[in-house]
Amino acid sequence: MSFEKNFPKWWQTIKISWSNYTAYRMNFFLQIIGPALVFFFVKYNLWSSIYDGDAHMTIKGYNLDQMITYHIWSMIVGLVAQGMSALNLAEDIRMGRISSYLIYPIDFWEYHTAGFIAFETLQLFISALTITVIAVFGFLPDITFTSLIFGFTYCVYVSLFWFILQYLTGIIGFWLEETWILRVILSILTAFLSGAIIPLELYPEWLVTLLNYTPFPYLTFYPIKMFMGEIGFFPKGYLMLGAWMVILLFLNKWIWKKGIRMYTAAGM
Amino acid sequence: MSMISTSGLTKNFKSYKKAPGFMGSLRALYKRDYITKTAVNSFDLTIQKGEIVGLLGPNGAGKTTLMKMFTGIIVPSNGDIKIAGYVPAERDKTFRKKIALVMGQKSQLWWDIPAMDSFLLLQKFYEVPDADFKARVEQMSELLDVKDLLHVHVRKLSLGERMKMELMASLLHNPEVIFLDEPTIGLDLVAQENIRQFIKEYHRQNNTTIILTSHYMADVHALCKRLVLILQGKKGFDGPIEEFEQILGREKSVSFSFSESIHDYTDFFENFSPEWNADFTKVDLRIPMEALREISGKVINKFPVIEFNTEKMPIERVMKTLMEKPELALGNSSSGEQTHVL
Repeated sequence: MSFEKNFPKWWQTIKISWSNYTAYRMNFFLQIIGPALVFFFVKYNLWSSIYDGDAHMTIKGYNLDQMITYHIWSMIVGLVAQGMSALNLAEDIRMGRISSYLIYPIDFWEYHTAGFIAFETLQLFISALTITVIAVFGFLPDITFTSLIFGFTYCVYVSLFWFILQYLTGIIGFWLEETWILRVILSILTAFLSGAIIPLELYPEWLVTLLNYTPFPYLTFYPIKMFMGEIGFFPKGYLMLGAWMVILLFLNKWIWKKGIRMYTAAGM
Repeated sequence: MSMISTSGLTKNFKSYKKAPGFMGSLRALYKRDYITKTAVNSFDLTIQKGEIVGLLGPNGAGKTTLMKMFTGIIVPSNGDIKIAGYVPAERDKTFRKKIALVMGQKSQLWWDIPAMDSFLLLQKFYEVPDADFKARVEQMSELLDVKDLLHVHVRKLSLGERMKMELMASLLHNPEVIFLDEPTIGLDLVAQENIRQFIKEYHRQNNTTIILTSHYMADVHALCKRLVLILQGKKGFDGPIEEFEQILGREKSVSFSFSESIHDYTDFFENFSPEWNADFTKVDLRIPMEALREISGKVINKFPVIEFNTEKMPIERVMKTLMEKPELALGNSSSGEQTHVL
C-alpha cells in the first residue's frame, strides 16, 4: 500500500482520464460552461426584475451590482466545486459496466477518485479562464489575490465533498435502477439551501442557524463570501464539511460492501 | 494442486415479477412477487494447471454466471470456489493479478483512446515491469499482426481488430488463469481462425490454464481437450472431447451422394436412420463405429456413389441434440461426481 507502488497507477489513470475527457474538447467545454452560464442568466434576469433597474435599492445590504457580483461568484463556485465525474455510476452499475473494474487490481473507488482529480484540474483551468474573461470585462472590480487563493483552495475542498456525495448517489444504483431523480432532488435542494439562488442573508435567522449544521451553506454561500473578500481562511467550513465527508465515506463503504453482494453484472 | 476447484457452487438470482404497464408498476411498488431462479446449481469442478477446458451450454444455462463467480464479479449464494488458492469473491488484489477475463460481447478497452494507451494504463494497474511489458506487446502484436493498429483509436478498429486488442490487453500481465467468454463471437471466419491460432500458440508457450466458452464448436474443437457441459445450471458432462462425441452412442454420421436416384433400394439403409433428400440422390446415415468400414464398403460397391463424407465435428451434432433434449445428459446426474453421462 505504499505511495511509490500506487502513484504510477493513479498518475496513469489521471492521464487517461484527461485524454478521455478531452477526446471531444468542444463538447466537454460546452458541457461544463453551458449549464453554468444558463443558470447565471436565469438568476441575472430574476434579480434584475426584482430590483427593477433601481441602482439605489438595497435588499438586506445588497444593491443590484452587489447581487450580480454575488451570482457571478456563485457561478465560479459552481464551476470549480460541482464536479460531475461520478454522475454515471448508477448507469454503469445497472448496465453491468463496472465488471471490468472489479477484475482490475485497482479498486473501483481508486479509479473514480483518480478520474475526479483529472476532472477537477481541468475544471480549475476552465474556471480560471472564466474568471480572467469576466475580470477583463470589468465585472469583478474588487478581486484580490488573497481572496482568490482562499476561495479556490476552499472550493477544491468543496469539490471533494461533492465527489463523495455523488459517489454515494451513484452506488445506490445497486438497489435503485435509476438514481437521476435522487440527483435532481439533491441539486434543487442545494440550489435553494446553499445560497446559490438567494443569498442566505435574505433567509430568516432561525433557518440560517439550522442550515449551518448541514453541509449546504458551506457549499456555495461561504465560498462566495471568500471570493468577495468578506471571509478569509475559514476553519469552521473546513471542519463542518470534513465531518460530513467522514460520515459520507463511512456510508459509501458500507453501501458498497452491501451492494457488491447484490451486484449481478447484468448484460455480461 | 488444482488451479480451479468448486464444490456445491450455487447461485440464485432473485427478481420480481411486474405486470405490464403503468398500473403494473404501481402495484409492484407495494406488492412484489419475487421469483428465485437458480442459475447455477450445486456445481462441482476441478481443473488442473495448464488445462484448456471448454465450457459449453445453451444460452441461459449458467455459463456466464459461472464465469462471473470464477472471476469474483458476483458472489455465490452457496458452495465454495478456490482459484489459484484464492476465494474469488474476496477480490484480493493478488488474486486479481493472477486472472484475466476476455468478454467477446463487451469491450474492456477505453473507446476514445488508442489501444496502446489502454495497455500502458493496464501495465500500471498490474505493475508489469517495463521490459516485460515491451516484450509482450512486441510478441503478441507480431503474432496477431496488429503492430500498425496499436496507435489507432479503438473506436475506429473493426470488430476483429478490436478483439485482438482485447486479447492482448488481458494477457499483458501474464495471468495464470484466463477466462475467455465467447472470444470469437461475431467475427468472420478468418478472424475466428486467427484468434484460435493465437490462443493455441499462447497456451503452448505459457501453459496457462484457460476456460473457454463459445457457441462455435470449431473453437472448442480446435482448442479444448476437455469439455464441461452445463445445462439448466447443472453439470451434464465432464470429460475428454472424444467421449463427448460418443455420448449419444458410438455412431458415426456419414453422408453419401449418388449419381442417380436410388429410390427403389432404400431398404438397405433402413437400419442406419437414413435422412434422404427429396429426389433420393443423397442420404445421411448413422453407422455404428465398429461397422463403419464394412457398411461404407458395401454402399460404395453396390450403389453409384459420387461423393461421401464423414462429419467433421460430431460435437456440433451432439450439442444440438443435447440442447433440444437436455434430459439425455441430465437424466441420472444425481451423484455430482466426475464424468456422469447418460
